[in-house]
Amino acid sequence: MKLQPAFRNPHSLLMLPFYFLLTASVLLIRVQGQNAAQASGSGPVEAFVDTTQRLGVNFQYRASHTSRKYLLETMGAGVALFDYDNDGRLDIYLVNGAPLSDPTAKGTVPQKTDSQYWNRLYHQKLDGTFEDVTEMAGLQGAGYGFGVAVGDYDNDGFEDLYVTAYGGNKLYHNNGNGTFTDVTEKAGVAGGGWSTSAAWVDLDGDGFLDLVVVRYVEWDFDDVWCGEHKEGYRAYCHPDFFKPISPLVYHNNKDGTFTEVAQKVGLGKAGKGLGVAIADYDRDGHIDVFVANDSMVEFLYHNKGDGTFEDVGLASEVAVDIDGRTYAGMGVDFADYNNDGWPDIVVTNLANQRYALYRNNGDGTFTYASNTAGIGQMTMAHSGWGVRFFDYDNDGWKDLLIAQGHDLDTIELNYPNLHYREPVLLARNTGHGFVDVSAQSGNIFRQAWVSRGMAIGDLDNDGRLDAVLTTNDGSVHVLHNEMATRNHWILLKLVGHKSNRDAIGAEVTLVTGFGPQYATVSTTGSYLSASDKRVHFGLGQESVARRIEIRWPSGIRQTLKDMPADQILQIDEPVTPSTPPKR
Amino acid sequence: MTRRANPGFLPPLVMVWFLGGLGGFAQSSGAFDRGLTEFRAGNYSSAAALFADAEAASPGATDALLYQAKSLVHLQDFAGAERVLRGYVLSHPDSSDALYMLGFVLNRQNRPAESLASYTEAASIQRPRGDDLKMVGLDYVLLDDYADAIKWLEKAVTLDGTNKDAWYYLGRAYYTKSRLIEARKAFLTVLDLDPRDSKAENNLGLIFESSAQPEAAIEAYRTAIAWQEQSPQPSEQPYVNLGNLLMERGRMEEALAPLEKAVALAPDNAFCHMTLGVYYRKIGKPVPARRELERATQLDPENAAAHYQLGRLYKDIHALDLAKVEFDRTAELQGRAAGPKPAPPNP
Repeated sequence: MKLQPAFRNPHSLLMLPFYFLLTASVLLIRVQGQNAAQASGSGPVEAFVDTTQRLGVNFQYRASHTSRKYLLETMGAGVALFDYDNDGRLDIYLVNGAPLSDPTAKGTVPQKTDSQYWNRLYHQKLDGTFEDVTEMAGLQGAGYGFGVAVGDYDNDGFEDLYVTAYGGNKLYHNNGNGTFTDVTEKAGVAGGGWSTSAAWVDLDGDGFLDLVVVRYVEWDFDDVWCGEHKEGYRAYCHPDFFKPISPLVYHNNKDGTFTEVAQKVGLGKAGKGLGVAIADYDRDGHIDVFVANDSMVEFLYHNKGDGTFEDVGLASEVAVDIDGRTYAGMGVDFADYNNDGWPDIVVTNLANQRYALYRNNGDGTFTYASNTAGIGQMTMAHSGWGVRFFDYDNDGWKDLLIAQGHDLDTIELNYPNLHYREPVLLARNTGHGFVDVSAQSGNIFRQAWVSRGMAIGDLDNDGRLDAVLTTNDGSVHVLHNEMATRNHWILLKLVGHKSNRDAIGAEVTLVTGFGPQYATVSTTGSYLSASDKRVHFGLGQESVARRIEIRWPSGIRQTLKDMPADQILQIDEPVTPSTPPKR
Repeated sequence: MTRRANPGFLPPLVMVWFLGGLGGFAQSSGAFDRGLTEFRAGNYSSAAALFADAEAASPGATDALLYQAKSLVHLQDFAGAERVLRGYVLSHPDSSDALYMLGFVLNRQNRPAESLASYTEAASIQRPRGDDLKMVGLDYVLLDDYADAIKWLEKAVTLDGTNKDAWYYLGRAYYTKSRLIEARKAFLTVLDLDPRDSKAENNLGLIFESSAQPEAAIEAYRTAIAWQEQSPQPSEQPYVNLGNLLMERGRMEEALAPLEKAVALAPDNAFCHMTLGVYYRKIGKPVPARRELERATQLDPENAAAHYQLGRLYKDIHALDLAKVEFDRTAELQGRAAGPKPAPPNP
């Protein structure tokens, strides 16, 4: 089914927003008979358990490290959690590298020469284990891969994939029958250079997803020696040695093609982009874009509402740290961690810099809160990549999970207190700040990995959010959430009709006796990765969501009342006030 | 704010080898002797002139040029000292003393690569001392190569475990790279060697602060301030660190006095003015905040952080055009810092 938006001019809607008080358009997908803690029984349980092998996800990322220390070797790669076949269970897509010769000639565009370098699609079976369906799906990929973005760009009800790679990207259209078609050429979105993270987002509110592709640096296979000039000490070059490069922004022409508009819409500033995340930080009804840049100022693009953007990073006080210094921005997330209704920002970076946490002041500015919220101290000696705000214990406060590991595999030669391989960091939000609870949260937090990408989603639909992490030149890790909690939860799957089908950009407010919580529908954020598009809320001891308010990207507002907890709800965007309920 | 002012990587003016004689040279002539008398009396200007006269009267007959260079170092005329030393080295290419001293004056002129070349040449003639290795370490600090800086500073303290300055700079290098445990040990060693070393105590405060022990840090800064009370040249560092931390802790009333004292002690220190400006901004006093932040940007026009803080202040007072100028300047400076830098040479 392909839905055409009823309003082609989004601004006519936004000027006249209308408000629905509906319990209509709600489809109850599944109701848990009991909450997660009851299901898991009593007794001490590790918060996260590595279930990768048991689930049959046997992926190995091939970085092809060389003696030349080509920078791209240490940067990949991403992972996506999405339900490609609409069976209600999340599937996993993993991006892979390609072989590199040592040395590799300047101008080379690496290619996947055999199956060990393929990207992989793992389909989740009924029993919760996974099967490799890469070949059948036609998703082996091309080139030396980095990132992945998930979005239904043609509103046909099936999630499509955009995969970035050094030298050229791929758009895979989901055919709805378990296969994908490479439509890159027809769509005109191949790009070029070194693309990293990408975001599907409806930038102009026309009901179709556009595509923001950030790029890292102007780079080629030059044989440049960085680090000490002695055996074993050669290191990856700092990004300062390379020129910044502008991102690519593709406007969706609604006919399967796209037009590159980065400069035209004001999103074309040259940066050293590694991460991208979206949220309406000033709640003016227009989605904004944050780009995490490595070792230069970060960009916060404010959506002016006329289809154009301006970078307000410095004026909003999110471009640098509290002292006005830049840092190595890599992963990013953009969500309201303190439940005040305003999306906040977290940006991961390298050791000695402290991950940057910016608390939204609600007036268009942010306060650097790393030190006051506890993040600064706990991250001083760590290097972070994938990052997400997520409520792992369903207590109503969004916590942080962070993939870690230094970018330099030589780092310990010079700095014994810093590490190339690091455990994952779990920071629990107490409501008054963050506390490092990694040590108490399971064996996986004592294992050191070279983590990079990370996606969050509820793999087994038990209301407890799971995570999948990639490691550089290593295996993937599926982290199953086995948190022993009796807290309640709700998972919302929004389906747009006037808005883009994924409802990406929709703003959800959930109110319980505990208070309000806020979230934005998004698949992007973290690092090179795409997460479950469904919106998850932990409800604590509250068994009912008193009110769920949705502001759809179209401007339509919808309210649901007294929704029981511990269920997955599909909520359809009301097309007209008379839309009958789906239950 | 957590960034500190110049933490004190400047090497001491008087080097160890300057304190002793420069052996191996014939010493004669009236001007030379008078120069020595003036030098020992601390009259470095007249000493330098007399040594120049001695050299002019009997070229190459004495080590007047070396003493002239030493006098110029005392006068902080490093360019002059370099000029004299280069002249001397031309005729005495095997003089390790001259080459070590040349390395020092090049370091002080922020020319670490040339300094290292001079030290390397000197070391090929005569084994370096702990103080020489310390300067090599400081050259690498200037090059922002902390791995090599630490390596050479560690060698310096291995060679001379009583070299307090080498221990101090080693501690600073460890601290800069967040090797806090090792940094603490280094500063404690300094305090073993000199139990009232206020710089080391101040740095222990920084370590406490980085280790989330703010009260211990405050105590250390206060101790450092007390220890330097009788000093003829007290440092602004413990004051600005104390004020900054008190400000971060929200103890605004206590923060003002040390921040003002820091500015009084170091009126040309941009960081001190910036921190005081940030303080005034935080307590809602835009007029003095503006004065201090504008002064900080005047003192250090290339300081992106100062421009950023001034931009924030201008935004507060709705001087949006001015704010834009400052933010643009910040972006320009940060963009310049972000490169691209020239690719490093391959070995």
